Amino acid sequence: MQLARRKNPKALISMTALIDVMLILLVFFMVTSTYLDLDMVPMVQSSEETEAPPNTSAAAGAPLLVQLTASGQVRLRGQVLEIAALAAQLADMVADNPGLRVLVLPSGAADAQALVGLIDAATTAGVADLRVIRPEGGQ
Amino acid sequence: MKLKARRGLTMPDPLISLIDVVFFLLVFFMLVGRMDATAPFDVAPPISLLGEDLPTGGLTVSIGVEGQMALDGVEMDAPALVAQLAALHESQPDLLVRVNAHGALRLSVLLPLVADIEAAGVGDIVLVVTPNPI
Repeated sequence: MQLARRKNPKALISMTALIDVMLILLVFFMVTSTYLDLDMVPMVQSSEETEAPPNTSAAAGAPLLVQLTASGQVRLRGQVLEIAALAAQLADMVADNPGLRVLVLPSGAADAQALVGLIDAATTAGVADLRVIRPEGGQ
Repeated sequence: MKLKARRGLTMPDPLISLIDVVFFLLVFFMLVGRMDATAPFDVAPPISLLGEDLPTGGLTVSIGVEGQMALDGVEMDAPALVAQLAALHESQPDLLVRVNAHGALRLSVLLPLVADIEAAGVGDIVLVVTPNPI
C-alpha cells in the first residue's frame, strides 16, 4: 500500500513579516520605556485652585515662619529642630489653629531635598497653607 | 469544473505561542512604559513619600545638580528656557510645566527659575519627586 505524502499547509498570509514587525515594536518599547516611580509636589497652581479656604482668614492669625538653613536644618522660633520634631510641633499648632499659615524661608544654599522634606513634614502635620519665600541671592 | 477545496489555514503550534507571547509583551511594554524626553544629564529627583500622582502632558524642565537645564530633553540656558516657555504659554494658556530637579540642587538655582517661569505666565508648575531613591 502506498501512502500519500501529506502536503505542507501553506499560510495564505505570511506570518513572518507580522512577527518581525511585532518583535521590532517590542524591542523599541523595551528600550525606550522608563520605569521611574514619579510623583509630584505642586509648586505653583492656577489662582482659582489657590483660593484660601474659608477658615484661613483673619482668624488664622499671623503666619508662622520656618527657616531652612544651608545645612538643611530647620529653625522654628529660633530653635533648631529635627524634621520629626518640627512635624510634631506643627501638628500641635494645627490642632489649636486649623487655618495655620506656614511661611518657609529657605537659604539659597539649601538643597531641593531639604525643602521637600520640610514640605512633607508640614503636610504630615496637617498644614494646609504653606508658602515658600524665594531667597534673594545665594545666601 | 470541480474546484479543489481549500485547506484550512494552519500554523505550527510553537509559532502561535511565540506570537502570543510577543504580542503580550508588546502590549505590556506599551502600557507600562512612559514616553518622555530624558535629560541629557543625570537627574535624581528629591524623595517624598507624600507626593501626588504626576499628571500627564505638559513640558518637562530638567535641572541637573550643577544647574544645567533642559526643556523636554534639549539643553539650554535659563533665559532661553524661560523665553521658550513664555512663547509656548501664549499658544497654550493652560500649559503644565514639570520641574524635574536634582535632589542636591541648590534652592538659589531652583526657586528663581520657578519664579521666572511663573512670571512668564505659566500657572501650573509641579516639582517631580519620587517615593523611592533612584
